[in-house]
Amino acid sequence: MAGLSDAASATQSPNATPKVVVDGVDKVYESDRQRVEALADVNFSVSEGEFVCLVGPSGCGKTTLFRTIAGLEAPTGGEIRLDGEAVTGPGTDRGMVFQEYGLFPWRTVRENVAFGLEEQGVDGAERARRVEEMLDLVGLGEFADAYPKELSGGMKQRVGIARALAVAPEILLADEPFGSVDAQTRDMLHEELLRIWSETGKTVLFVTHDVEEAVKLSDRVVVMAADPGRVREVVDVDVDRPRERTDPAFAEYVDRVRGLIGE
Amino acid sequence: MSLETGSASPRTTAEGGSGGVAAADSDDSDAKLSTGAGSFSDLDVVGLAYGAVGSAVFLAIWQAAAMAVGRTYLLPSPVEVASAFLVELTAPTTFTVPLVEVSVPATRLLANLLQSLLHYFPGLVVGSVLGISLGVAMGWSGRLDDALTPVTRFLRPIPPLAWIVFAIVWIGIGHGGAAFIVGIGAFWINFYNAYAGVEGVSTHLREVAATLGVDDDLTMIRKVILPAATPSIATGIRTSIGQCWMIVVAAELFGAPGVGFQIINAAQNLATDVSVAYMAVISLVFLVSDGAFRRVERRVLAWRD
Repeated sequence: MAGLSDAASATQSPNATPKVVVDGVDKVYESDRQRVEALADVNFSVSEGEFVCLVGPSGCGKTTLFRTIAGLEAPTGGEIRLDGEAVTGPGTDRGMVFQEYGLFPWRTVRENVAFGLEEQGVDGAERARRVEEMLDLVGLGEFADAYPKELSGGMKQRVGIARALAVAPEILLADEPFGSVDAQTRDMLHEELLRIWSETGKTVLFVTHDVEEAVKLSDRVVVMAADPGRVREVVDVDVDRPRERTDPAFAEYVDRVRGLIGE
Repeated sequence: MSLETGSASPRTTAEGGSGGVAAADSDDSDAKLSTGAGSFSDLDVVGLAYGAVGSAVFLAIWQAAAMAVGRTYLLPSPVEVASAFLVELTAPTTFTVPLVEVSVPATRLLANLLQSLLHYFPGLVVGSVLGISLGVAMGWSGRLDDALTPVTRFLRPIPPLAWIVFAIVWIGIGHGGAAFIVGIGAFWINFYNAYAGVEGVSTHLREVAATLGVDDDLTMIRKVILPAATPSIATGIRTSIGQCWMIVVAAELFGAPGVGFQIINAAQNLATDVSVAYMAVISLVFLVSDGAFRRVERRVLAWRD
């Protein structure tokens, strides 16, 4: 895990360029009878190479924010900028990982990872090479020809991560990606995600409702509050990696974030 | 720090947890389904024995009843049906190949079956292709759906055979007319299955595809909608393979040549043993074609849970 400290120190340099800027984002759902303010003036930014988690109680709008950054929903006010350019729709500059995996069941693992590359027009040999590289990165080389139904939840999510990274996105966006796997698998996936993060140097924005997960993974935790969905506080997590739950400093951060959420 | 269980076979679930358990559950239900559908992989000897006993009892009762009735035209016995079947199977005749109008030697059973296939097959293919196309188009496009739903809702309850009047006045009741009726039947079955299949494609998969760079409708249909809807479309095709035989027989009762016509024709000559022999032909052809399609389906849809 040599690369970790490099990545970590890079993100803490004061003049780091903002990779993602969430600038005064509002999201209001209006129907005949009611008006729901899902997001109200949400502001924060993520630096190049940084690992940021969004946590909050259910109904705080974190998934709405994730979908807005993904370009799957448009904000009703404000904007999201990636490398200074406003997000107007979905695109391969943001690699997406979803809780329910979203694998194409009719495609094998290899074909799932290749999907985005096909759309980018990457030719056969280069595509095959990139797919192999991604499968090696997530350790699924020998499952390349399996269909998603043959994989466990944890393995499915590795495919999801490989597929998202294959198109060489600027950032990796994940919405509760490990919410459907058991605790033991989740711990292993955490280690792997951190390894992948350090190997690729990607900027990661990770949505979760699990406070321990957020503290374990991220450089900074954006704590959100509900009604309306807004940022309560941004917490810098200053604990050396690899982080252990038994570390008193770790527990302190968990308590602090829990206190902010009101758990 | 790579695989949870490096030694596991690539074709098995290597982890526990909710995902693994769910996968195991669905595998289980799939196994049950395929047993019901006549899987060849795990032969159930006891089940087969029961099947043999059931068939034998059925044939024995039939034979006894026929002997009690004592008149072949009222109730032909299984033995009489079998012998009529063999006669039809071997009796020489000729079959005129349409379009080229060349006569080739055949047996009566084969010639009649070919006659039926000459309207069954074109009707099935054309009706299915059109039905699937419209179903996909309406399932995909909300506007087209809104525009055509009143029309499809109104036309669908009309039994295909009711269109025989137009088949007769437009085309005449030969192969063309019968194919027309068969095609209408195939059209509706495939239309609704394709429509439901496309409507049922999860928004999630479409969003995933969009985030992976799919930004036009045709690519989305080709790479996401059609593959995701394939199980439903396949069910439509398989259903129409069976239903269209019903329609073939009905259409031939009006005079188109073929197996169905032989059923009514033989009965009019009080040769009901021949009628039943041709009824058995339809059943056999259905079983063979349905079985063949299931095999193809299992292979093409191997990815399905």
